[in-house]
Amino acid sequence: MRVNYQTNASTQFRVLSDDQLEEMFHAVLRVLEEIGLDVHNEEARHILGENGARVEDLRVHIPAYMVKQALSTAPRSFTVWARDGDPKKHLHIGPGRPYYGPGPTCPNFLDPTTGQRRPYLRQDASAVARVCDALPNIDFCESLGTVSDVHPSLGATYEFAEMFANTSKPIVAWSYDWQDGEDIHKMAVAAAGGQRAFEKRPNYVHYCEPLSPLVSNEEALNKLIFAARHRVPLIFTPCPSAGGTAPATFAGILIQAAAESWMGLVVSQLIRPGLPFFMGGVVSVMDMRTTILAYGAPELSLLQAGLTDLAHYVGLPLWTTGGCTDAKVIDQQAALEGALSVLFAGFSGGDLCHDVGYIEGGMTGSLQQLVMMNEAIGLTRRIRQGFEVTPETLAVDVIHDVGPGGHFLGEKHTLRHFKEFWLPELMDRRKVDDWEAAGCKTLGDRVQEKLTEILETYQPPKLPEGVPAQIEQILAAAEERVAG
Amino acid sequence: MSEVLEKISKAVIEGDEDTIAGLTKTALGEGLSAKEILDGGLMPGMDYVGAEFKAGRMFVPEVLLSARTMKGSMKVLEPLLAAGESIAVGKAIMGTVEGDLHDIGKNLVAMMMEGAGFQVIDLGVDVTPDAFVESVKKEKPDLVGMSALLTTTMRNMGRTLDALKEAGLRDQVKVIVGGAPVTADFAKQIGADGTASSAPAAVDLAKGLMGLA
Repeated sequence: MRVNYQTNASTQFRVLSDDQLEEMFHAVLRVLEEIGLDVHNEEARHILGENGARVEDLRVHIPAYMVKQALSTAPRSFTVWARDGDPKKHLHIGPGRPYYGPGPTCPNFLDPTTGQRRPYLRQDASAVARVCDALPNIDFCESLGTVSDVHPSLGATYEFAEMFANTSKPIVAWSYDWQDGEDIHKMAVAAAGGQRAFEKRPNYVHYCEPLSPLVSNEEALNKLIFAARHRVPLIFTPCPSAGGTAPATFAGILIQAAAESWMGLVVSQLIRPGLPFFMGGVVSVMDMRTTILAYGAPELSLLQAGLTDLAHYVGLPLWTTGGCTDAKVIDQQAALEGALSVLFAGFSGGDLCHDVGYIEGGMTGSLQQLVMMNEAIGLTRRIRQGFEVTPETLAVDVIHDVGPGGHFLGEKHTLRHFKEFWLPELMDRRKVDDWEAAGCKTLGDRVQEKLTEILETYQPPKLPEGVPAQIEQILAAAEERVAG
Repeated sequence: MSEVLEKISKAVIEGDEDTIAGLTKTALGEGLSAKEILDGGLMPGMDYVGAEFKAGRMFVPEVLLSARTMKGSMKVLEPLLAAGESIAVGKAIMGTVEGDLHDIGKNLVAMMMEGAGFQVIDLGVDVTPDAFVESVKKEKPDLVGMSALLTTTMRNMGRTLDALKEAGLRDQVKVIVGGAPVTADFAKQIGADGTASSAPAAVDLAKGLMGLA
């Protein structure tokens, strides 16, 4: 054992110092206590009021001690389980383990065969899930769209049913309100083997969104209350845009986003102390030419990294953002913006990085982008891994044996270590003659080939016996509910 | 052009909220009418801002500040008008539809329309079809603007249009709809008069529907 010797096992990356984080933490507490938030949900206001918050009409002021109490009961480390128990697919949430997956609710979809932009359909949820299951660097599944070809109130119910049957990776579910949230939960519980079994091994996470600035609507809190009561791990993630729905300064948008998310934290921990809770926030700038929330902006990566630091400072996992773009098609812009945000999400270590596969600023979902980003995540993970400094890796003995002018190709040391090199699947490193002979394919061409291959051949793990029939019953009951 | 009108244009372009009321009063003191101040000072300023914005040399916060500056002048001018007289290019009521609390897009369009010379009555968020109908009866606007961010609440735009039809008011107003998920197809399908993909485009649409483009 050496004395005063520090090892870095991985890439080191932080935006904010402890002093800055402490200052921001106290600013969040001030916003929650002094400014307060509008909570458009009577039950949530009641729960908050009974436990010490000052409630004036819709406005709720949450004192610092309630926030600190909630932070003390929310876990930093927990597991979200693959529904088939495959140990490679569990999400072991905890320090230094960032995972990646798609995002929710795009109205449009790039057709996986033709590449044409069109409304998102029920069949797309199944395709997204199969592709997520097949891609080694995509760790969880979210739908990349809002199903448009079923009863408008049942989009989320069908979305989950399709995804659940076509991937065993943990799902991040989205619903409109309580009732379809309940449909989803029944399906998940059917596969888990009952509510008690689900509570031990939750196989999905529920996603809810407050509004910015500082408002929560009825439905978001209905969903949150349902999740907390049924011990469904929860994401509460605002989507503020700097200069539009949040301050234009970056410390300002981050403390506002944290306040919005922590209101949900406090309610959920009051209902269910210890509930796994992801602090969230899609934090980026409003593009002042178009007014869109820019998903490809460098500020998105910077802000997400800052929010990650703040979440980890207070001991919460973060729902972060990357792999997304403002490009309209899968072009150079899509690759550049997507890969940069994937890299920075990986460096800053946000726990679940979502929106991989968003194009057109989140208005369109794309499996082509998801497949391309799978490669970018692989590359990022290799960089993140870093390297060790030991007598074996310093390799002085091997350098001695080979000596000046030799080569290392035949050395046993090389054999032991060359497989640590990352091997690209879609990046082309061939000689130009070979590349031409293979048809001069671009990255976009190779992405489409890989996507087509997955969709034509990949078979995901089936649901346990009897569960598909239960899901059919749940869907039938939901149809009856909306018909009646 | 008189010197004071030039100063008014410049104040609008620079978003100088502090001097606009004083400049407007000076112009009135020089014997200029409200209409002359609007056409000769305020609108040329806003037209310049609009062109600079389209060229990418001015940005949304600057455009809004210019619109607010113009509104500062209008506040001085409006009480001077005879009853029933208006210098606005049109009257619009705007709101986020029932069930939806998202309003930044609607607010942006409302402010930019004011900047283009419209009188805008903002009904706020979570506005029911009945509330739209009541407001159309009371205010007799030229234009109704509806906003929604959610695919679920978007359907309430159609319901509001139905309510306007049932009340026999649909033919008296132009109806525009907007929000991230709203498409031209959707607008057509529910029988709206149009939609636009951005706040400046919404202003152009509104002006077009008023025969002003």
